[in-house]
Amino acid sequence: MEHLLETIGRNLFAIFGVMALGSAAFMVASRSAVHSVLGFLFTMLCIAGCFLALEAEFLGMAQILVYAGGIVVLFLFVVMLVEMSKKSGAQVFQLQSRYAVAAVLIGAALFVGVFRKVIFGAASAEALVLRPGLAQGLDVAKQNAQAVSRGLFADYLLPFEILSVILLVALVGAVVLAKTERV
Amino acid sequence: MPIPTLTQSVVITLIQCLLVVIFVFVVVPLTVFAERKVLGHIQQRLGSTRVASGHIGVTGWMNRGMWKWGRIPILSYWRGIPGLVADVLKLILKEDIIPAKADKFVFFIAPAISMVSAVVVFAAISFVPGTFFTFPTWFPYLGGLPVSGGIADINVGLLWILGVASVGVYGIVLAGWASNSKYPLLGGLRSAAQMVSYEVPLAMSLLAPVVLTGSLNFGDMSARMATGLPAWGLAPQILGFLIYLTCGFAETNRLPFDMPEAENELVAGFHTEYSGMKFGFFYLAEYINMTVVSALAAGFFLGGPWLLPFGLQGLLNPYLPSLLSWFGQPHAIFFVAKIIFLLFTYIWVRGTIPRYRYDQVMSVAWKYLIPMALFNLLLAALVRCFAV
Repeated sequence: MEHLLETIGRNLFAIFGVMALGSAAFMVASRSAVHSVLGFLFTMLCIAGCFLALEAEFLGMAQILVYAGGIVVLFLFVVMLVEMSKKSGAQVFQLQSRYAVAAVLIGAALFVGVFRKVIFGAASAEALVLRPGLAQGLDVAKQNAQAVSRGLFADYLLPFEILSVILLVALVGAVVLAKTERV
Repeated sequence: MPIPTLTQSVVITLIQCLLVVIFVFVVVPLTVFAERKVLGHIQQRLGSTRVASGHIGVTGWMNRGMWKWGRIPILSYWRGIPGLVADVLKLILKEDIIPAKADKFVFFIAPAISMVSAVVVFAAISFVPGTFFTFPTWFPYLGGLPVSGGIADINVGLLWILGVASVGVYGIVLAGWASNSKYPLLGGLRSAAQMVSYEVPLAMSLLAPVVLTGSLNFGDMSARMATGLPAWGLAPQILGFLIYLTCGFAETNRLPFDMPEAENELVAGFHTEYSGMKFGFFYLAEYINMTVVSALAAGFFLGGPWLLPFGLQGLLNPYLPSLLSWFGQPHAIFFVAKIIFLLFTYIWVRGTIPRYRYDQVMSVAWKYLIPMALFNLLLAALVRCFAV
């Protein structure tokens, strides 16, 4: 019993990861848009579980709060209002154009280029800390909310603020697009 | 103090979960009964009296005795309690109808999502700081081990509570959609808009305690809010409590904000097509959510397991005579008493305030509650900056 529990505890990341991949596959393969959203929701919850297994409690909770609780609700809202079911299956699941495939390939190449050290480098048990100076005096395993906030609001304040401005621009753009002409 | 092995700690956690489930399943039926009775008395009637053990059981025997003695039996107030058993039996035994055109899978899973997200929130709530009780040494397998006052001592407990509670909206929205009928769909859409809107001021009103205490752990926060604040901390606590309670009413879809079901507009809203135990799950989830909101309000603003609310305990503790030192200590019973009082407040408000119109509900959230919550946050930040 003890051995079994320990094995489960050590492999929680793998368990949640497999569940996340499975539900993501369900999301892509499912014919009903609402089922896809459910699959997406479950994926997000499993990714939160992955973060928890890595002792990144703050990120895991933020994942649940922002993605599962906020963004997927909006997805669901849109799906329910737009009613994808009016289109037949073949229209929804058409093959993408060559440009889209090229864009995906370039994106994948960029991803590998940026994260090649993480993907192909030697595995280490040490936590990946970008700037050790930031987390000085903090027990990162216990206080990762404080560690993340130091990074966001002290060291990377300018990029963070620029990001929020970009989001604001997107928000204003959405309002402009959605606004209908009133006579 | 012995250190539990992994298996033992898992067993202890399961026991804690069982205790929480027992607590919930004791509180919820009593709230339902209290709702009937209190609403009845607010509206000058007796409430439920029909299913009564008039001639059986201890109360029936005592009632009969009092009639014979020529007095009006006080205990007849409790007539109607057996009705709870009848209710539960009805929910379990009733035919479970699934509409022909419904999406079977989503229709099945929606009540489960509601129920699970309501119960799981209790993981981060600590009923009493430190050890709740210790198993006696003769206890098999777990002898001498302590049981802590909360299931999981998560250091971002507040985020866990908010996150899991925000997953609860799926139950209602999906139920509305899966029923494939117009009133449930309208109820589901209304509830999505309402709950997403009210989450904003709710989270903001809970930010004030975070700013005041500098922690995200439920136990830490309630301990510091109750005992570690200066007198200036009273203002943001009282205002924050009022804002939080208003948003909590809206989040649990209770009157005066019960847009998703609004009987006279939408038949029964999102659960119109549900019957049997699936409906029972929604019913249970609503009352469990009420308990959760009450527990959070009690923990953050009303002093949690300490006796006095709004941080008064910390101000008065130095002047407490040693004879009364029991009242200066945290006890789970204070916490539960506050939860019960807040549940009573729910019923009280339901009997007092009529339902808002839909546009009024939205304007209350966006035009009044959010600015007030921001102002409260500013107050808390000022107290934190100058007085703590």
